[in-house]
Amino acid sequence: MKRFFSVVIMLAVLTVSSLTLVASASAEDVKMVGTISEIKIADDGKSATAILKDTKSGESVTIVVTDDLTLDKFKDKRIVEGDEIRCKFEKQDGKNSSKIFKKTAGC
Amino acid sequence: MLFSRCVAAFLGVVLMVANSHAKEHSGKEYIQKNGYQGPKTCVVCHPGVAKEFLETVHWKHASKVDHVDHLDAGKEYGMKNRIYTMCNGNDIVNNLKEVPPNAAGKTKFTGCNTCHPGDHVSDVGSRGPEAEQAIDCLICHSAKYDFSKRKAVKGKDGKVVMTQDRSVTAALNIGQPKTKNCMVCHESAGGGALIKRGFSMTREADVHAAKGMVCVDCHTVKKHRFPTGRDPNNWAHDGMYMTCVGECHSNKPHKDADYNRHTNVIACQTCHIPRTGGAFAKNFTKWERQSSGFYEPSTLKREVNETVPVYAWYNLTVSNTPHFIGPKGSRSDGKSKIYPFKVFQGKAYFNKLDGQLLSMDFAPPMATGDTLAGVTSAAKTLGIKAYDPVPGWQTIYFGSNHQVAPKNKALTCANCHAINGVLNFKELGYSAKEVEKLTTPDLYFDKLLKIQQENE
Repeated sequence: MKRFFSVVIMLAVLTVSSLTLVASASAEDVKMVGTISEIKIADDGKSATAILKDTKSGESVTIVVTDDLTLDKFKDKRIVEGDEIRCKFEKQDGKNSSKIFKKTAGC
Repeated sequence: MLFSRCVAAFLGVVLMVANSHAKEHSGKEYIQKNGYQGPKTCVVCHPGVAKEFLETVHWKHASKVDHVDHLDAGKEYGMKNRIYTMCNGNDIVNNLKEVPPNAAGKTKFTGCNTCHPGDHVSDVGSRGPEAEQAIDCLICHSAKYDFSKRKAVKGKDGKVVMTQDRSVTAALNIGQPKTKNCMVCHESAGGGALIKRGFSMTREADVHAAKGMVCVDCHTVKKHRFPTGRDPNNWAHDGMYMTCVGECHSNKPHKDADYNRHTNVIACQTCHIPRTGGAFAKNFTKWERQSSGFYEPSTLKREVNETVPVYAWYNLTVSNTPHFIGPKGSRSDGKSKIYPFKVFQGKAYFNKLDGQLLSMDFAPPMATGDTLAGVTSAAKTLGIKAYDPVPGWQTIYFGSNHQVAPKNKALTCANCHAINGVLNFKELGYSAKEVEKLTTPDLYFDKLLKIQQENE
């Protein structure tokens, strides 16, 4: 009986560990260059979504932005719709969280 | 004049009262009542300030330079007229203009002087009352500047004008420049965000930013003149220099006397700025087509904190040859310290006839990718008649002077005094015997062991 319970507990631990590993493995960093078609700042000003049209695939990708610097650039229009952006985001649980969000243009 | 003085006196009283209640820029009521009309409004309280600004590097993009080889002491140099391979153009050959249509028939405005704080009609180095009124004071001084209002447009007369946000909202939110006011221009130099020098002034990247400090806390401005550090590639200056040593840090800044002994020969940046980023190589002879249909010079770049510096002796004078711009100095000159630099290498066209680096007007290659058309256009603008363009590389040492790492990420004894340490003592001029002494753990073993034991 004791042995049976040990095996069950071990299996449970293994299952939980595997699920955790799968979850962390599903977080993926993606790099892209795209043009902003829409920026929406949340009412509380603490986050925003930007839709980027991938310059390679033409697909539209929604990026969630939470860093203060980029949010400020949205607010004072240093970054606006139509700007081309070099972006790195983490893809996890169906959400694309921005890690780098920079205009490609410069002088 | 009398009226202006009366208004100024009145606003001065208002300022004192306002300061006693809140830290707010005075003149709010005046602006609310009269609106904002550019520098004309600013000089009501700050007489002479517009004229004063026209004499600064921010307006002239140039100054006399006396610390760089092979320059004419009587001339002014800077972004206005320099040619080097991070930019390969300047305000003259790349004056703000409309690019010819690309294959898709699209055009756009581009130019090195896009960041000049005027309206382009009054351009780099212009003078007189019209220039004074063209200054975009708010782009540096307003916390609520709407940057979408600053853009190049072509007037009916065909002249390109840079518009400004002169709204009352922007004018009511003035004060000392915030970091973002500076970074609007200073982070986009060299062809994109954080490309040229590759440092970030965010809380995450820089200890001073983490403390809430802004650029002008260190670059303490006097009469719109900015003290700068001594980046070998930053030539123009307002006649004032700055170092870490001053109000905030002494020349014996560490609790540890061993570290303090280093300050005579090691610049603060060497240990405290262990990484930068941005472009490390660029090829102006090969432009890449972008999704927009325009072309850009091909560039190899890294994120901030990904580039390891090189270290060299620097006596604050600069070697300037067609293929090299970088620090001069040696271990024995009694003036040099070891500084960190970001090494950049740029490929562009040199004139086979005299060996000098040629400049490039970006408009033609931006539209079609034809780089030699850009060289031809620039040569025409500069009046160069005899030239034979051949590709070649130029190496530039950029000073690593920003993005100060947190204390726990600064270099310590073992980072340098090791066989595989970050300093190449042999190249820095030390003999084999000295290198042996400088790379033994005897120098720091007991000290680091004690720290390790305390932390375990």
